[in-house]
Parts: sequence; structure tokens; C-alpha cells
Amino acid sequence: MSETTQPKMRKEQGTLLDAELEHLPPELRWREWMGRVEAVIFAASEPVTRQTLARVVGKDCNLDLIIDDIRAELAGRPYELVSVAGGWQHRTRKGFADVIRAATGQMGTVQPLSSSETLVLTAISYFQPITRAELSSFFGKEISRDVIAALRAQHFIVSGPRAPQPGAPYTYVTTKTFLSAFGLETLRDLPDFEALEDAGLLSKEKLLKGEIPIGLMGQEDGGSALDVDEGMSAQP
Amino acid sequence: MSRLASSPTIASVPAAVPGWAIPRTPGVDTAEAAFLAGAALNSLDHLVRAEHPWAGAWRQRLALTCAAAACRLAGRSEDEAALRDAWHLRKPDDDPGPAGNTLGAWRQLAARAPTLDVDRLAKVVEWLGLRWDEEFAEIPKALDALPHAGPAAPFEVVAMMRMLAETAPAAELLAWWLGDLVLARKLQWPRPVPLLMAQVFGPAFRAGGGRAKRIRPGDDAFAQALCLALAQGASDACRLASEISRQAERLQAVIPKLRAKGAGDAISRLLDDDAVPGTLVTKNLSRFATRRLFERLEAFEAVRELSGRPTFRLYGL
Repeated sequence: MSETTQPKMRKEQGTLLDAELEHLPPELRWREWMGRVEAVIFAASEPVTRQTLARVVGKDCNLDLIIDDIRAELAGRPYELVSVAGGWQHRTRKGFADVIRAATGQMGTVQPLSSSETLVLTAISYFQPITRAELSSFFGKEISRDVIAALRAQHFIVSGPRAPQPGAPYTYVTTKTFLSAFGLETLRDLPDFEALEDAGLLSKEKLLKGEIPIGLMGQEDGGSALDVDEGMSAQP
Repeated sequence: MSRLASSPTIASVPAAVPGWAIPRTPGVDTAEAAFLAGAALNSLDHLVRAEHPWAGAWRQRLALTCAAAACRLAGRSEDEAALRDAWHLRKPDDDPGPAGNTLGAWRQLAARAPTLDVDRLAKVVEWLGLRWDEEFAEIPKALDALPHAGPAAPFEVVAMMRMLAETAPAAELLAWWLGDLVLARKLQWPRPVPLLMAQVFGPAFRAGGGRAKRIRPGDDAFAQALCLALAQGASDACRLASEISRQAERLQAVIPKLRAKGAGDAISRLLDDDAVPGTLVTKNLSRFATRRLFERLEAFEAVRELSGRPTFRLYGL
């Protein structure tokens, strides 16, 4: 596994690494930088941030152009370089999700989300921070602790501030893992976020007063962006 | 008691912005607006440089107002009380949620020196829920290159916000955040004072009286609107300062009457922050001692309970 160990060693000896590569002609230098960036991203198990990548390339190097060139090279491959959760990561293309699942059975330890879990996660992502009681009152049925625990176990949500209500229940907020798993960069990338915002529907008070038509939430649940398959796409 | 005895005396009420420097009519030209801004910023400058002992509470309260306006601009529904709750009712390392993070960005602006590196900027961009843009990496360099001569502070702010509005129109929140930073840098304040964001829905940025259109950083009339907003913001900040100084004076006056051993910790927290949770625990103050202390302070009318709730109380000046 020389490919995977090499970039790590480079990171450790960051001060010794020649990032500028001034002895090389411009084209070769660009190729070397592309190689380095792709290697670092390939070796990492989570999205690699800009700051990390900046350590292995020269000061005047435009990382976005490097990434674009790498993407162009990966055009025909079954995996791609996606920008998620404030960094970049290699992901297999969405179309291969079924194939991978068929070949390996369940994808590692990750269980696909059930429809009610997806629905709860959707509600949390739009209305965070929100407590379990508030979720229950919105859905009109008890949201069990198991649902919350399942989402927590996959690190999609963590507890946020405590709500100033009797019992001081924890509110829940989404994590970077959530953004990464669903291919979002920021929470504003959630489907129809701006439209909901313009309609003034992103308000927890309205949510709890029942002023939000439930049909709307139902649609989002079936919508493409929080599709369970997408969260399952494999990493190399 | 040595801590209490040594705590600095509170100076007299800070100067307010003179009445003639507060913008009243919206239709003024740029020169007049700049004059008002200069006059108002002068009063504010005295206030900032005096380094009053309650300056921390003052800055953080301004940060809260700005963060509430930022949430409104981002389309969120949280008000000041909700932001305060999100920030104070969590464990120190827990995520306060998207609105709480917005408050975090402004609190950090008010608490730290007006220097910026890429790491700090990246953190702020993340807290504001924005997407990182390659152009942002140039901002710290542009900030370091700000000439000491050059255009006057308000116009330097305008230039920076315009630059950002052109390169990243979606990052308006960041432009407002940077505005206060640039101002502090130009005026050589030790720490920025969050002013501009709070004015974004104010009359200064309303085009042509009462009409719904807001003047954005890219618009022609922005320079003049920003000057008016600075004048208004400075006058609001000075008014808030006189309110807080009065409270701080009252607090100072009752200190000799306090019997709790660790009262000094609570007092310094009150002077440094917008709100202090009623459950504060320090080395010398147990939960119960804090409760007694705050109830006694409230009986003296030296602190206010800010949330209006009988439980989960938050106290502040």
C-alpha cells in the first residue's frame, strides 16, 4: 500500500517537503501537484480540507483548477471527486450503488435509514436545534428514542443546546457527517431551502403551531437529495 | 475579598453621540452622510479607547443584536432570546446549531483583535453556514495591505464589502462581518465593535423612504447608506453603553454588601459577557451559592434576569 502511506509521511514531514517544486518546468510541476492532491484525497478516510491540501502544493497554486483537472481525468472512471462538508473526497458514482450492494451484501456496518428515520432526519436538518418532544408534536406521534439513537449511532446528529423546558431536554443538530453522507456542502444546499425560507416556513414556532402543511414535508421525504441510496455510495 | 476590593472603579457615564450627528432624514448626499458618520464615530472612539470595565458586556450585547439581524438576513426565525438560549444552555463543546453558530461568529468578532488569517476566516465562513470560495483566501492579504493613509475608514469598508459582493454575492453575511473588522482595523481599535449588521434592516439601508427595497453592497447608493448606518449604529452603541454603565455602577455599589466568597468570579463574568447562566459553577461558587448570589443581586436591582423565565435563568447587566 505504498500509495496510501506515502502522502501520510509527507504530511508528517510537512516542513521538509518541497511544495514549490521550482526546479521543474511548469507543466511537470502542475502534474506533480495534481498527483499529490489526488494521492492525499485518496488516502484519507474523510473529506480532505483545503488547508490540508495547501500544504502539499505551492503558494501560487490554484487548488480549484487542480481539482477541475483531476475531475476531467476521472471523467470515464466509476468514481469521482466530490466536494462535500467543506472538503473533497473520492466517491463511487451513484449509479454503481446497487452493484456494490449486490456484490458485498450490506455495506459494512452502515444500515440504510428506514423511511421514518429519514423523515425525522429531514425535520431535524431543516428545523435544528429541535427536541424529541417538538418532533413528536409535529409528526403527531411519538418519535421513539430508538429513532434518535439510530441517527446518533450513524453520527448524523449530535445533541445541541438544552431546551429551556421542564426536564431540560437536549435539542438535536446535524453534523458534518450528515452533510458529507448526503453530498451537501452547507445546510443551505438542502432541497428547496431557499423556497421554504422565502415562504417563511423555516420557523419552529410555525412548525409547532401546525401551520406547515404536512404534504410538503412528505414530498421532501421522497425527494432526491435525502435519498437513502446517496448516503450509501461507497468510498474507495 | 481582595478581588472585590481591587476591582476597578467604574468611570462616569460615557459621552453620547451629539443629537445633530444622528441621521434623521434619509435623503442626504454622501458628503453630509460622511460628516455624520465622522462625528458619531468620534464619540464611539472615545468610548472604545476608554476601555471601561464593562466593555466586554457591551461588546457582547452588540454582537447579540448583530447576530439576530444576521439570522433574519439568512432567513432564519431566531430572535435575540433564542440565540442567547442556544449559546448559553449548552455544554461548552456542544454544537449550538446553525443560529447559535452565527452568534458564535459575531461573539468571536467582538472578542478578538481585528487580525485575520485564513484559518480564522475559514472557521467564520463555516459558522455563518456559507460555502468556502477560493477568492476568500485573498481577503486576509487585502486586509493586511490596507494603507494607513488611503481613503477614510467608512469608504475602506465600502470598498471591501463591494469587492466581496462582486466576487461572492451569496456571502453577504461575511461582507457585513468583515465590515466591522475593517472599521476597527482602520480606526486602530484593540477589538472590533459589532455595529453594521444591526443596521441592515434599519432606515439607513431603505431606498427612498418606506419602500421595501434594501440597499445592498453592490448598489450605487451603498456608500452613503453605510455612512448613515455607521452614524446610527454608533449612536445606538453609545446609548447602550450609557445603559450598561449605569447598571455596572449599581453593581459596583452593591459589591460591599455581598457575602459570597466567590462573588468576584460572578461579577467579572457579568462585566465581561452579555449573559451569565444562573447555574454558573466556579471554583469558589457552588450551584446553590450562585443561586443565592444572583437572587441577592436581583433584589438589589444590580442585575436583570434576561430570559423572563422562572427556570433556566440568564442574568446580565
